[in-house]
Amino acid sequence: MIKKTIFYFILIVSAIVFTYPFLWMFLASISPDKAIGNLVLLPSQVTLDNYRQMIAKIPIWRALLNSVIVSGLITTGVLVFGSMIGYALARLEFKGRNLIFYLIIFTMTIPFQITLIPQYILMVKLNWTDTYYALIVPYLINALGIIMFRQYFLSLPQSLIDAARIDGCGELRIIFRIIWPNSVPVILTVAILTFMTSWNEVLWPLIVIRKESLMTLPQLVTLFVVGGRAESQLGVKLASSVFLATPIVIAYAFFQKYFINSMVSTGQKE
Amino acid sequence: MRKGKLTPYLLVSPYIVHFLVFVVFPVAFSILLTFFKWDIISEMKFSGFANYRRLFADRLFWKALVNTLYFLSIHIPLELVVSLFLAEILNQKLKFQGLFRALFFLPVIVSGVAVTILWQQLYGYNAGLLNKFLMYIGLGKVGWLIDTKMAMPSIAIMATWKNVGLYIILFLVGLQTVPKQYYEAAELEGASHWQKFFKITLPLINPTIIMVVILSTIGGFSLFIEPYIMTGGGPLNSTLSALLYIYKQGFFYYHMGYASALGIFFALLIMAVVIIQRKYIEKRT
Amino acid sequence: MRKIKKILSAILLLSLTFCTGGNSKRNYLTYWSSNNTYEIEFARKMVAEWNAAHPNEKVKFQPVPEGQSSEEVVLAAIVGKTTPDIYSNMWQGDVEAYAKAKILVALDTLKGFKDFIYSRCDSSTIKEVTAADGHIYQVPWKVNPIMMIYNKKLLDGIGFKNPPTTYKEFFTAAERFQKQNLVNGRVTKWFGYAEILPTWWQRLFDFYPLYLAESGGMPLVKNNKAVFNNKYALRVFNFLRTLYVHDYFPKERLSARQDVFLSSVIATRFTGPWDIAHTEKFKPKGFKYDFAPLPTSGKKSELPITYCDPKNIVIFNTCKNPQAAWEFIKFYLSEKNELKFLEITNQLPRRKDLLSNPLFEDYFNKNPMMKKFARQTLHIKGIDQALYLKEVFDIISQAYEESVVYRVRTPKAALDDAEKQVNLLYSK
Repeated sequence: MIKKTIFYFILIVSAIVFTYPFLWMFLASISPDKAIGNLVLLPSQVTLDNYRQMIAKIPIWRALLNSVIVSGLITTGVLVFGSMIGYALARLEFKGRNLIFYLIIFTMTIPFQITLIPQYILMVKLNWTDTYYALIVPYLINALGIIMFRQYFLSLPQSLIDAARIDGCGELRIIFRIIWPNSVPVILTVAILTFMTSWNEVLWPLIVIRKESLMTLPQLVTLFVVGGRAESQLGVKLASSVFLATPIVIAYAFFQKYFINSMVSTGQKE
Repeated sequence: MRKGKLTPYLLVSPYIVHFLVFVVFPVAFSILLTFFKWDIISEMKFSGFANYRRLFADRLFWKALVNTLYFLSIHIPLELVVSLFLAEILNQKLKFQGLFRALFFLPVIVSGVAVTILWQQLYGYNAGLLNKFLMYIGLGKVGWLIDTKMAMPSIAIMATWKNVGLYIILFLVGLQTVPKQYYEAAELEGASHWQKFFKITLPLINPTIIMVVILSTIGGFSLFIEPYIMTGGGPLNSTLSALLYIYKQGFFYYHMGYASALGIFFALLIMAVVIIQRKYIEKRT
Repeated sequence: MRKIKKILSAILLLSLTFCTGGNSKRNYLTYWSSNNTYEIEFARKMVAEWNAAHPNEKVKFQPVPEGQSSEEVVLAAIVGKTTPDIYSNMWQGDVEAYAKAKILVALDTLKGFKDFIYSRCDSSTIKEVTAADGHIYQVPWKVNPIMMIYNKKLLDGIGFKNPPTTYKEFFTAAERFQKQNLVNGRVTKWFGYAEILPTWWQRLFDFYPLYLAESGGMPLVKNNKAVFNNKYALRVFNFLRTLYVHDYFPKERLSARQDVFLSSVIATRFTGPWDIAHTEKFKPKGFKYDFAPLPTSGKKSELPITYCDPKNIVIFNTCKNPQAAWEFIKFYLSEKNELKFLEITNQLPRRKDLLSNPLFEDYFNKNPMMKKFARQTLHIKGIDQALYLKEVFDIISQAYEESVVYRVRTPKAALDDAEKQVNLLYSK
């Protein structure tokens, strides 16, 4: 009994440690600037002024839209291409299949640091800096996504595919009409993982996007906080930070199980 | 057997294109660039091994490498201990296990930018929440981000806080694979809780431990946004990470050739470390 | 299958509509200003006025996309060929290198430029902005001399009716201020604050103006050689170092907190006139402040020289119609609009008649603080005409961090080393 109490105590303290900072940030963002210094639990005064100022200062809605577009298209691409390639690798026999499989594994081990600068130069040469292309195209195919699809498709019964072939389905139709409905868990996992990673990506946008109207949310917030336009108003900076965190937290509240599963599956890949 | 022998190739062709354009070309170009001096605006100038010679003499780059390793040496053990400890407690058939798990996981999904902005406030020397708390319980203030000895550990603590939720769950999965009979047998022999933990649990979840180590090694090598926002690499370059330094050389000063040389060298180093770790796993399992 | 095709084509269409390539034809001019809030306001007004009068030569405006510094962003834009036609926040120190790389329009080849510039600027300013090849690539637009802002109430409180002008007075004031504000023996307020980030351009706002003040405007680099390792730089280093030794200046990055000057956490700061508008907007009730010249080691008979942070207007060679761009600039810098610029932004146009033109008289009489800055413009310096200035400031910044803020080396040793490194940089 004592042991259990101690355990609960530890767990509750840890839960506070992991969540209270977010709560503080949220409360600070709705407090007037001069009250933030003394804020611990309850704000002495509630105001939306920080949010109003933030919206007036930076095109944050536009950045939100950009992030949705970019992450949405990347996720779609990863799902479509990933399942096509994963299917070919898992279910079709052709020369060079193993070679391609090992190539994919190999690309996963290349650190992105090595390709960062030449990829930027590539974007410059393609005239893609300051376009959505630069943000989206390099991420449309993702090695991890392919591998996850392949692993999952390997476990599907062959009879499913054979039946479809007898009905005269083409391979694309098999993938999207027969395989997809039977692969919801892996699709959700890959989708959440891809969406989250691209949503939180900040280094690449910092490099290829300079036009304010094309900036993604994390990029705009980073530059807003580091740069001078917040006019040293702490509350406004924190408001932008809350704004950045909120969409993912809301999604997490709904798809908690899938979030956790997808992150775990990246772990087990290694 | 099917009419379209080409079909599989068509299906994998997007990957081939992507691989050529975004992997083969950049890597080859990067290697080529290391032999040139180039600021993008002017013409490329061949410079032989000058970039590599400069790399080996560049004290700041070596400092940045050491800083990155220092970060890993704090971050990884801390992460292992905390996540294993909390996973072990969560594994004790308690109520609300799911709720706690979900709460611990929250920092994992939130953008690193938001987390960094938040922690900059917590770490403030004079008005930060952490120091206020320390003063309140009668301890002195800590120079989290302004003390050259504390700045990197502070960033490591923050990174641990952000990622530990993921590792807790990985360990939970690992812990659940340990057969119950082992514990029952040990209990019969009168083993204490901690004895069971060290004698049975630890050896059996070794693969998970190594997996966590590799994951956080790879993550740790890409340390960038935290010092970029919080310290700019200071004080006295104590939080200058290798990636931040490469970024500065490439995108502050436009020393593209030199930055490429740094990138290649750094990437090789990461690969070497990961290969050694992998070898180690294969030996153990 | 058809459904999938539909979805795929929808995606493609969507991405095409959203992605605008860099090559699209356009019949408008693009213009970037700095990202100072009041300058944005001014630019918006001007651009709206211009567009109403010139429907065929419209200007599209946006503030420079923020980075750590605007210089970094402009360089990146040049690299990505995404430069605007007109840019009004060009740091003088970059123009020579850009001119050499042939990415700027030589303005003196445009109709009406010469007459304009000779009526606006004095000969020394024109000389300062003329490139090595004899052309002029920039319009000297505005200056922001660095001075010391101080909190009147706080200085009154320690018996300083006038702000300190010498290092010695500065130390006395700082010591008194610190003693008065100890809480349980802890320092809670500081006499001054300088940003401690090691980024190169931070030194333009602490070390460099103090060095110009102390040395009477000596250069840092001359004929590709470091000339800053002298007694003046040493005095400035020692001055600042003492401030950190006694905790008169905090080592914490206060810029991450709420505004520390307005919340009376610090009493002074080195800054420019742009702070007036900011202070007026956010100051609490009863807050009183003023500006003073920078401190020097000994009393000076006239105002000490300071750094003026000159920002100029350039036209990039990606511009399809430079003459139209120049017409816009001329409109932007007309007397009437410069008065508006003064009123809205509290930054100073770089023109010779600033104090003599009756058009501005009324403004300066109403804004005595701005008059102080206008007077200071007679004692200002921009930046040396040299290459690699960023690297030079970076090296100085490292020396500064080591010997002033963290004191792991003596100022002498740090400056000696910095001199060596700068000379090595130019010898390559």
